Amino acid sequence: MPTENAIETINLTKTFESTLPNGGGFFRRKTVKVNAVDGLNLTVKRGELFGLLGPNGAGKTTLVKMLCTLLPPDSGIALINGFDIVKQQMQVKRSLGTLFSVGERGFFWRLNGYRNLEFFAAIYNVPRRKRHDRILEVMKLVGLENNTYQIFQKYSGGMKRKLALARTLLPDPPIIMLDEPTTGLDAISSRTIRDFVQQTVKETGKTVLYTTHYIEEAAQICTKIGILKQGKIVAYDTPEALKAKIKKDEQIYLVVEDISQPQIEKMRTLQGVIEVTEKNDLPIMAGQRELYIELQTVDQLPSIFDFLFEQKIKLVNFKREEPTLEDAFIELTRRG
Amino acid sequence: MAVLDELEKIWYFMKRDMVSFSTYKTNIFVLLLTAVFGALSFAFVGQSSINQAVTSQYATNYTTYLIIGLAFNTYLGQALTLVQKTINPWALEEVLVSPTGLNTFIIGSSIWGFIWSTAVVAIYLLLGVYAFGIILSINIVGTLIVLALGIGTFIGFSMIGSGILILTKQGDPITALITIATSLFGNVLFPPSVLPPLLQLIAYVTPPYYFFTCIRKMLLGSTIQMILPQLLILTLMCAIIVPIGYVIYAWCLKTAKKNGTLSWF
Repeated sequence: MPTENAIETINLTKTFESTLPNGGGFFRRKTVKVNAVDGLNLTVKRGELFGLLGPNGAGKTTLVKMLCTLLPPDSGIALINGFDIVKQQMQVKRSLGTLFSVGERGFFWRLNGYRNLEFFAAIYNVPRRKRHDRILEVMKLVGLENNTYQIFQKYSGGMKRKLALARTLLPDPPIIMLDEPTTGLDAISSRTIRDFVQQTVKETGKTVLYTTHYIEEAAQICTKIGILKQGKIVAYDTPEALKAKIKKDEQIYLVVEDISQPQIEKMRTLQGVIEVTEKNDLPIMAGQRELYIELQTVDQLPSIFDFLFEQKIKLVNFKREEPTLEDAFIELTRRG
Repeated sequence: MAVLDELEKIWYFMKRDMVSFSTYKTNIFVLLLTAVFGALSFAFVGQSSINQAVTSQYATNYTTYLIIGLAFNTYLGQALTLVQKTINPWALEEVLVSPTGLNTFIIGSSIWGFIWSTAVVAIYLLLGVYAFGIILSINIVGTLIVLALGIGTFIGFSMIGSGILILTKQGDPITALITIATSLFGNVLFPPSVLPPLLQLIAYVTPPYYFFTCIRKMLLGSTIQMILPQLLILTLMCAIIVPIGYVIYAWCLKTAKKNGTLSWF
């Protein structure tokens, strides 16, 4: 049942109850309710590499576990490939490949990579005749072709994660969910996985839901990003649009020559100027000064250039500082 | 003061384990119960009336009685913990997200254990025959029927115990109780007729008693007709315990999924 949206949730909610010690006594406990996912509405279109960004405890893993049928929702609807995660679990499972953040723990450590994938190929209904070729294919895809018959426990952390990725791809599902796939990996392994995911989406048109708390990782590979906070989406757009959403004071960077301290003081009094700060972050030539100027809006920029012209101050370098996705993330999660 | 520092560290190691242990309340109860009943069961093994009871009920000696009991107790012990062994929380999650049903999962995860247990039973019996001179006259069909019923019943218990383990995380009272009941009342180490009358009553409502009575008779030359009453009771117990076990296991799994505690151990 092909639908436009690969993943769709409508008012999806999950609350956990936990018991905590309540004063003294061995058996005295109190129950606390936590809304892990709170009326979540989310749409991921087919072929999209969607990044779900959120701080620890935002509800990312809870959402992933609900979408892959491991956790039943308390209320709301979620559709994977058009199938309901509660009423059509088998169809959901056939449409989905999931990599958990500690997915490598589900492997059998005394078996080699091939035998592990052989088992998972069987339980994921990979046709018997295609099984062998498919295992070799995915091992090659993730760059483990030379370690196919190596015992799993001798794999490095990065290799284990790659094998988990291979297992996710094994049944060739149209939708893939990767829950913090680079957590705990070194920079090179993380980069390999990110590049691989990006390439896979490009070449196969698969839909990927990629959860992470690494901001730049999401910015680098995702076509759209949702920022999750306390179980709610507080922002949802392309990385660029999210940056643009941050109403941040305009900041410009100047390197100027022959400017005196009184002139800097005068610059501070110009209309629309919030602050002028002198910085010496970079090595500059003698007689030059490095300034960061905060403006209320970009409209005040011409008046700065007029002032430099009038005061005969030579402009050596100029840069407009863009808000980063990290700024957007911090601002949006703070606001949310 | 280095010694005091080291002693303090040792204290914190102990405290860490004690606090962690105290959070598994079911386990504490089960361990205490196991100790009490374990001591009791071995107290009865020393009774002189065992030989006479064995000879009168099975027309064989105590060595034969004990070897058959221990061999098949290993078998049932395997069956009792088979489902439990599948609850590696990580593997469980990986399997549950695959398009594989619960039945296939339980059966598939159990098969190797049974094959291995069969080999262990064979070793016991071969050693019994060739090293201790026990004489067997096996009713193959009857043995297979009794085995199927016994294994079925114990898998039922295993599912109940595993279900509870999924919820309590440590300390499965059902498996522990069945193990205790089997050693004390189950006709493994001594016939229940040597027990005080009140404890004998308990023996007659536990499945292991009927299983061990039937399996011994089937290995020692009796016909199915001769064990029919005990066999029918075992069949009835199996028919009740297996569906109950399945329902409880599925319910506990569902509850752990709902609470998000499936991978907590």
